[in-house]
Amino acid sequence: MSTTIRVEHLARVEGHGGITVEMDGGAVTAVRFDLFEGARLLESLIRGRSYEDVAQIVSRICAICSAAHSLTSIKATEAAFGIEVSPQTHLLRDLLYRGENIESHALHLFCLAAPDYLGYPSATALAADHPDAVKTGLRLKKLGNLIQETIGGRAIHPVNVVPGGFGKLPSADELRALRAGLLHGVEDCKATLDLLSGLPPADFCHSPTVFAGLDMKGDYGYYAGDEIVVKANGRQRRVRAADYRSLTNETPVPHAHAKHSSFDGKPFMVGALARLTVNALPDDAAASAMRRLGLRLPSGNPMDNNMAQAVELIYDVGRALAIVDKLLAEGLNEAPRVPVKPKAGAATAVTEAPRGLLFHSYAYDADGRIVSADVITPTAINAASIEDHFRHAVEQSADKSVPALTRKLEMIARAYDPCISCSVHLIQKRGSA
Amino acid sequence: MSKPTVGIFGLTGCAGDQLAIINCEDELLDLVNLLDIRDFVMAASEGDHTCQLDIAFVEGAVLSKHDEEYLKKIRARAKTLVAIGTCAVWGGVAAMDGGRGRDEMLNEVYGPAGARYDSTPARALGEVVKVDLKISGCPIEKDQFLGAVANLLNGDAPLLAGYAVCAECKMRENNCLLVENHQVCCGPLTVAGCGARCPGLGIACVGCRGPAADANFPSAMEMFAAKGIGADRITAKLKTFANAAGGGQ
Repeated sequence: MSTTIRVEHLARVEGHGGITVEMDGGAVTAVRFDLFEGARLLESLIRGRSYEDVAQIVSRICAICSAAHSLTSIKATEAAFGIEVSPQTHLLRDLLYRGENIESHALHLFCLAAPDYLGYPSATALAADHPDAVKTGLRLKKLGNLIQETIGGRAIHPVNVVPGGFGKLPSADELRALRAGLLHGVEDCKATLDLLSGLPPADFCHSPTVFAGLDMKGDYGYYAGDEIVVKANGRQRRVRAADYRSLTNETPVPHAHAKHSSFDGKPFMVGALARLTVNALPDDAAASAMRRLGLRLPSGNPMDNNMAQAVELIYDVGRALAIVDKLLAEGLNEAPRVPVKPKAGAATAVTEAPRGLLFHSYAYDADGRIVSADVITPTAINAASIEDHFRHAVEQSADKSVPALTRKLEMIARAYDPCISCSVHLIQKRGSA
Repeated sequence: MSKPTVGIFGLTGCAGDQLAIINCEDELLDLVNLLDIRDFVMAASEGDHTCQLDIAFVEGAVLSKHDEEYLKKIRARAKTLVAIGTCAVWGGVAAMDGGRGRDEMLNEVYGPAGARYDSTPARALGEVVKVDLKISGCPIEKDQFLGAVANLLNGDAPLLAGYAVCAECKMRENNCLLVENHQVCCGPLTVAGCGARCPGLGIACVGCRGPAADANFPSAMEMFAAKGIGADRITAKLKTFANAAGGGQ
């Protein structure tokens, strides 16, 4: 007897996606993570645009990841022009990136994922019974936004980041206000750890997983670096950002505006769990948080991506506080930005967006106008891995009833924290080649 | 008074206006007490996707037949339909003129598979259905959203600025990037509401909120010309976010 499980419009994720799993008896015959966001064609629309406009436009690929898109875009533009920015600019960008990660992870953990664990349809429904938990999450989310506002000029689509550096540097007063928020955030992180370590376990899907993440060279951060590590079954491969196409070797699929990525024929996972798997643990506090959350690496349980996000959230609040303390102690002595002189060139930049590896690859003409652009987003990369985990979850479930399986499939999709506005952009021109 | 029934929807876009609503961290739990939010897929499962709505907030542009059908269904359900964000009000970045046909751009990005996609030229909501209120911004400003909700709860029509970013910039006593630095700043022509955020940071306005109804376009163009900035340059910049505005609306 054949059964179809269908989620028309997956709730509590960013963008428009659905789930389809077909079974015949106990066997899974088809799995699809459908992405039906419309095509916005931004890579094509920025052709001919000046380098001054590019980051502002591509940031609109996605609101939740807008700082990541802006900064990855600027990193590619600066590399194409051979521009070196100041250490101060690097530090402020690192801080901005952490702000986005804090906001995105707090939003995901408290508002989108936690209701699943506790059986509620939304964070506001959860707040009726657990107001303190939701308020803690909203405060952390607001703290992430405060970092983005202070450094990036706006919580969504940062306006203060430009090729060469920043429009304006934060004042000491603004940094002190941020510091006060971060001190409160440290306390909220303790409450977060208490809350998440007390959640019922979500342990219903296991499969050997291939992970890919940025090599952070021993300093856990999301912006610097240009080499990717892929890890599977004790095997490891390194890929330079410039060779990203060998990693994101995509195949078109008919059901989504996205192609699927694979590594040696196997899908791979990117995001917080992958980052913690391919990089050394950042510090003892993170290791202790991991133990309390029951997270053991490498993990074949995709639900553990939620716990990995919690570890990063806790680490980033502490690290952001250390950066702000350093900025307050040493002062902001460098100019906001270095001059930018365009030249013909091409470059690929890679960073770790909250959901995983993000690539922006540009070619510029001598006047600094875009000749071609290619953007590969983490959700696009994760789509194949999500489908792989859908299949395993259904096969490993003793209860094959539609409601039970639907709940598990939705939880897996959400654990990946998919960002579907982003994912449709990963499709790139290749078909005509 | 019973709580108004509300839906919050996203067509194709970056979800930034829905995120701006979720970013009202201090007000979110109060909002839920004042509004009966029935349908908000980005934030809640188990929503009611067919009920009648007193207010529908819709972000994003119409970029596919699916978007168009979805929007028409929302319109049929809603007493008041509010377009939120520059995509919904003006078409946004997806409506930018790429200088090439949509088929060609689809082929560039997706290859031959692109021809099979459900993809239509970007349209603002008002080009497809009747829109009762427009709150622009990329993304919308929290204060304007919360103010509009308060007005609607009281049965009032929200009053949104028709004047330009320039007015807010002068109130903040910023140095003028156009007059003093000769930068191509869209502030004289872009609708206020952002508090002149970008010029306050030394960054020229990119026009992300769309055109100001009260702006004096001929006078602004003369001022740009006096600075050696041709109409083509300023128009191209304005059309990045609000192509429809340059198309003669």
